[in-house]
Amino acid sequence: MSLPQATSASGATGFPTKPKLKATSKATTQTPESKHLSSFKTRAITPNPFPSSIPCISFSPSSPHPFAAAHSASFSLFQSLTLTPSHTVPLSDVVSSLSFRLDGALLAASDLTGTIRVIDVKSRTPLRRLASHSRPVRFVKYPAVADKLHLVSGGDDGLVKYWDVAGESVVREFRGHKDYVRSGDCSPVDAECFVTGSYDHVVRLWDVRSGGRDSVMEVNHGKPVEDVVYLPSGSLIATAGGNTVKVWDLISGGRMVCEMESHNKTVTSLCVGRVGKPGRGDAGEEGMEYRILSVGLDGYLKVFDYSRLKVTYSLRLPAALLSVGVSADGQVLAIGTSNGNIFAGKRKTKDPEGSDTTGSGEVGIFDFGELPQARPKVLRPGSYRYFHRGQSEKPAEEEHVIAKPKKVKLAEHDKLLKKFRHKEALVSAIRAGDPEKVVAVMEELIARKKLLKCVSNVDEEEELEVLLKFLHKNTTVPRHAGLLMGLARKVVDAKAEEISTSEALKVQVRNLKRAVEEEVRIQEELLEIQGMISPLLRIAGRR
Amino acid sequence: MIRGGRSHVSAPPAFSNDGKKLLVCTGNDVSIFSTSTGLLVSALEGHVALVTSVVVEPAQSPGSKVLCYCWTAALDGTIRYWDFALPELMKTVDIKFPIFSMVIPSLFSQHVGSNNSRPDLFAYISIENMNEESHPKALHGQVRKCNLTKSSLAGLVMKETKRPPYMCMSPAGDFCSIINKRKLHIWKISEVDGPGIAPIKIDFHHTRDLTVCAFHHTQKIVAAGDISGRILIWRGFGSREFSKGVGKRSINDEGERPGVRGEDDADSCTTWHWHSTAVNVLSFSSDGAYLYSGGAEGVLVVWQLDTGKKKFLPRIGSPLLYFVDSPDPLLASVSCADNQIHFLKLPHMEILKSISGIKLPAALPKPYDSLYQSCAFDSNKGLLALRTENYAVQIYSLFDDREVGQIQICERNHQSGDEITVFLTKIAISWDGSLLSTVEVRLPEEDLGGLVCLKLWKSDSPSNQFKLSTVIYEPHREYQISALAFRPTKSMVCTTSDGGDFKTWVQNDCKSKEEKVPDSGWICLAVGSYKKKPMTAAAFSADGSILAVAAATVITLWDPDNNVLISVLGDSHVSIKALSFVGHSGLLSVSGGSKPQLDVWSLTEFSRLWSYSLQVEGIACSDDPSTFAVLALLPKNGDNFDEAAFQWRDGVILVFTGTSHVPTATWSVRKAERGAISFLRAKPEEHILDGRRSKFLVAFVNGDHEYVLFDPFGDGTDEHGVKRLMDSSVEEKESFGYTSIYGNLKELEPQDSKSAGTGVVPTGKDWSSIFSWPSHDPPPLTKVCSEFLESLLERRQAVTGS
Repeated sequence: MSLPQATSASGATGFPTKPKLKATSKATTQTPESKHLSSFKTRAITPNPFPSSIPCISFSPSSPHPFAAAHSASFSLFQSLTLTPSHTVPLSDVVSSLSFRLDGALLAASDLTGTIRVIDVKSRTPLRRLASHSRPVRFVKYPAVADKLHLVSGGDDGLVKYWDVAGESVVREFRGHKDYVRSGDCSPVDAECFVTGSYDHVVRLWDVRSGGRDSVMEVNHGKPVEDVVYLPSGSLIATAGGNTVKVWDLISGGRMVCEMESHNKTVTSLCVGRVGKPGRGDAGEEGMEYRILSVGLDGYLKVFDYSRLKVTYSLRLPAALLSVGVSADGQVLAIGTSNGNIFAGKRKTKDPEGSDTTGSGEVGIFDFGELPQARPKVLRPGSYRYFHRGQSEKPAEEEHVIAKPKKVKLAEHDKLLKKFRHKEALVSAIRAGDPEKVVAVMEELIARKKLLKCVSNVDEEEELEVLLKFLHKNTTVPRHAGLLMGLARKVVDAKAEEISTSEALKVQVRNLKRAVEEEVRIQEELLEIQGMISPLLRIAGRR
Repeated sequence: MIRGGRSHVSAPPAFSNDGKKLLVCTGNDVSIFSTSTGLLVSALEGHVALVTSVVVEPAQSPGSKVLCYCWTAALDGTIRYWDFALPELMKTVDIKFPIFSMVIPSLFSQHVGSNNSRPDLFAYISIENMNEESHPKALHGQVRKCNLTKSSLAGLVMKETKRPPYMCMSPAGDFCSIINKRKLHIWKISEVDGPGIAPIKIDFHHTRDLTVCAFHHTQKIVAAGDISGRILIWRGFGSREFSKGVGKRSINDEGERPGVRGEDDADSCTTWHWHSTAVNVLSFSSDGAYLYSGGAEGVLVVWQLDTGKKKFLPRIGSPLLYFVDSPDPLLASVSCADNQIHFLKLPHMEILKSISGIKLPAALPKPYDSLYQSCAFDSNKGLLALRTENYAVQIYSLFDDREVGQIQICERNHQSGDEITVFLTKIAISWDGSLLSTVEVRLPEEDLGGLVCLKLWKSDSPSNQFKLSTVIYEPHREYQISALAFRPTKSMVCTTSDGGDFKTWVQNDCKSKEEKVPDSGWICLAVGSYKKKPMTAAAFSADGSILAVAAATVITLWDPDNNVLISVLGDSHVSIKALSFVGHSGLLSVSGGSKPQLDVWSLTEFSRLWSYSLQVEGIACSDDPSTFAVLALLPKNGDNFDEAAFQWRDGVILVFTGTSHVPTATWSVRKAERGAISFLRAKPEEHILDGRRSKFLVAFVNGDHEYVLFDPFGDGTDEHGVKRLMDSSVEEKESFGYTSIYGNLKELEPQDSKSAGTGVVPTGKDWSSIFSWPSHDPPPLTKVCSEFLESLLERRQAVTGS
């Protein structure tokens, strides 16, 4: 039972004009995650694209996570804070793969002649040259944990080699793949284990300690494997081949966990990244979750939540994508395309300290844990904040809250409508720019039977121009066409004299005319299509 | 038989002396409402015609404030004296002329010499004397004096007017006045009153018809409003005429009397003009500093009397009719034309509470008149949904005779003066009362921007408030919706349009997704049409298996689930207005227009059983499968019946049982035009008529939204057999301290009071988990002990407000 009080209270309030409700689909609502990912604002960071495609992007594991991108016979190092190229290092042949050592001090680059060069990142001087592959080397990888001395490489000769970097010698050679080895990844938990994927559809798990010729485990992807990555647990791997990405469980003997088929063309690259907002202190790790990021020749970046088996975000870029990388802290995303562009995005951070280290290139100076925590200050009487204390206090659950009456916020046009200044309200709504609101104001004026009066009152040339510009832009929008087409006709009829004397207005009317002609053409085409389809539908309906 | 839905605003109300009760003239009764709760407390019943005025006897001393005596006058020609605390009739004075207005000035004037023998009490009344020969110029209205103590009418006629005027009296009881077209007559009531003593009269003249007047509490100031919205204030009136007897003589000098017309007896006259239409409300504040005025704009204006500065209480939502001061200086009441009385907190001009009567019918613009539908019934709960003027739907409880809630359909304010451009046309309530569907129409301005909008509302069960679920713009392109019907068993709505199609709408229950959204919207399920004929009416059968849609002159029957045409019935000459199913195999159709007709069809034989040529206003079918009722208008030009024999009743309710064409019961009613009827399921325990329990009642709502509930097969003698529920238990309590500032605290009842009786329930951990540890490695005793004890304790739930 409701007391009649409630109704009387509503009787004494004003109602602001509201636009018509729009049908919204549940699917388009942004999840926090997609909001987070779209906040990266991915854009092309290379002012003039590189002459060739970007086959590989590699992030340094050490903060501030600079990244390297291979292009043609050289590679470039990029600052992750500013997303600008800092240095370009030329090599002798086309670079196929790059890998940072786990401390970020060294970088290994493989090229199509079959040699691997190890380069000091800071001085960019080549330190070692590893040459043993007889055919182009397609991947090179430093182990992700504990081992700074070795690296793994694979090539078109179908061999996988385990190198001792310092001695420039092959420690072990793994034979087993029957086709080009195109990808591989080292285990994030074990320095001795790594996987390689080959065009013979097979992904093999190798263990350096086994010493044997044969792989420890093999899984068949079913398509030529383009990329393979370890997931952070070290027990799962993700493989990309054809237009599918598959996740395999290594612990349970190579069982397929899930399969994602969300690209329509070949998936070219995979990486694992963390998304979510890093929280404060210890909660930072929990606030972020791991996702598989995949890019394909169809130009899509897909973010796949493998725990919920769901694509959580999808981004379309205007080129075929070849490589993808995410910095270890989840702040920077970089994508390389086939036409030499690099798209990169950075999450907005509010840390002012971040800018201090730009360009310094030093490693590991971030250490938030050491910063002294600001203690809550005891407020003293006399300060400004003392008199505002407790205003943002939240009530406890059982406390009785005395609600403040909600204040109705009125827009400029609402205030003018309340004063019955109809023309000013219409002009101010048009100037504010939201067509939905303009139409709402027009509907309110129709309800007051004042719209045409308003139109005839619009006498200043500048206001009339604004009105005509609005009509030009929105007359053919289907949502508003029913009202605005009739209005446009009346405006042109009523204001013919003013229009004929002013050049600016003539331009607007010409634009309006063009928009209407365009719409007429579209409608005619649609009618043609309808004419074609309706007999088909009729035939289909008969069956 | 329950009557209700009477107007609360036929006459100005009156406050009791303590300001805690409001006496409102409601039809033949005076209803007493509590001012703090706004609920009905009791009623004074006795008059047999409309009560026109109520005067509360003022308290002469602070001690007598608790006394509750009042005088009432009614059109039945009697003045009655009541003790309204009990309530009890104490005295009846029979005047034999219908009384339109009454004031009793001597109650208010101070008796200086308090001698034991009280002088006779005189009332000034405005009556209607229809005696033809004595009044050749057809001046029916008379102002006369009446001795209430001796119950006699004084012979003297103080003034004759064409129509009985409304009497106005100064707060101190020394003047009374009437308005007669462009003149204002004021009488001075002499201290010593007698039957033969004619009071001195002065007149004020104006160039327009006056509408209302008011007296200042202490000074000699009178204010009057006219039909053009002007307020005239005469100061120092009657200084010449009324002081003649004393011997003083004021100087008649034109220069010193600014604004005063001709020979009118006042010192000065000022005019204020803010209102754009006639001023209906004028009242001086009790301290004399302010003047309240109001009119059809629905805005209460407060004028500062000395400066003429204004303050406003806008958007009351309806034309104002009366403003009544209470003895409590903080409280006043405003009566509105939409049958609402608002209590105002004066310095803030804030509406505290409202007494909401049934809303008056809202007319539609002329071309849309065929879409008229005044109300919809919820037969299970006995609720009525009414369209109102200010774009809302009022839910009114027929059994309790009071408003249950109001739903604002369009977010618009009432604006008087403007033409109506937005209005509701159709309402429908689903059979379980949880869904409401409304249609609103916005008129185009020169073919620009017209809109039909279908809205679907859903009630959340605990608070019975409807919430907007779905808005559908232009459901049938630009065509109007001609009918709206809910399916009884499922949540499905059918809308028919003049554009030749009907649509069925269902709730979109999102089967594809795993999580079901409880408050999902509505989508169109099917569209149907029959030979492009305009669809005019729709009805679902009681089990929901058949949908009948009237396509102009024929009835089409559809399967609503599969949208398949089952059959086509009949062919009449005029278009069908309404459809209803009777029982399992009958169908009722009503045609309007020049040849009104009522047809009953058999669905088993697909043929017409019988038909009457009747102009039918409403049809209703009961759940009891074979009974239906028809509200028909009597033919106006019929020569074969005498209108007086029907006592100006213009309609009949015919109750039919089974397929017989002979009505089993017939009732004649007044104001049947634009009325509506429905069957209501009687509440089992409260509404026992004549000792036997009737299964259902017929509710008839007439054209003025007065209603009556009755047993169609009873004898109608049980007029007062069922009393309204008096909320006498809801007696107001004075609030002190914290409560008066912040309102009542929430009741913080421990939730576990029930379980206290059954003993302690261990709500903590399961014992099996407490004691499960490896036998070789028991945890420390302190830990186990605390866990064990904790498991014995009840977990106290967090208290959440309801």
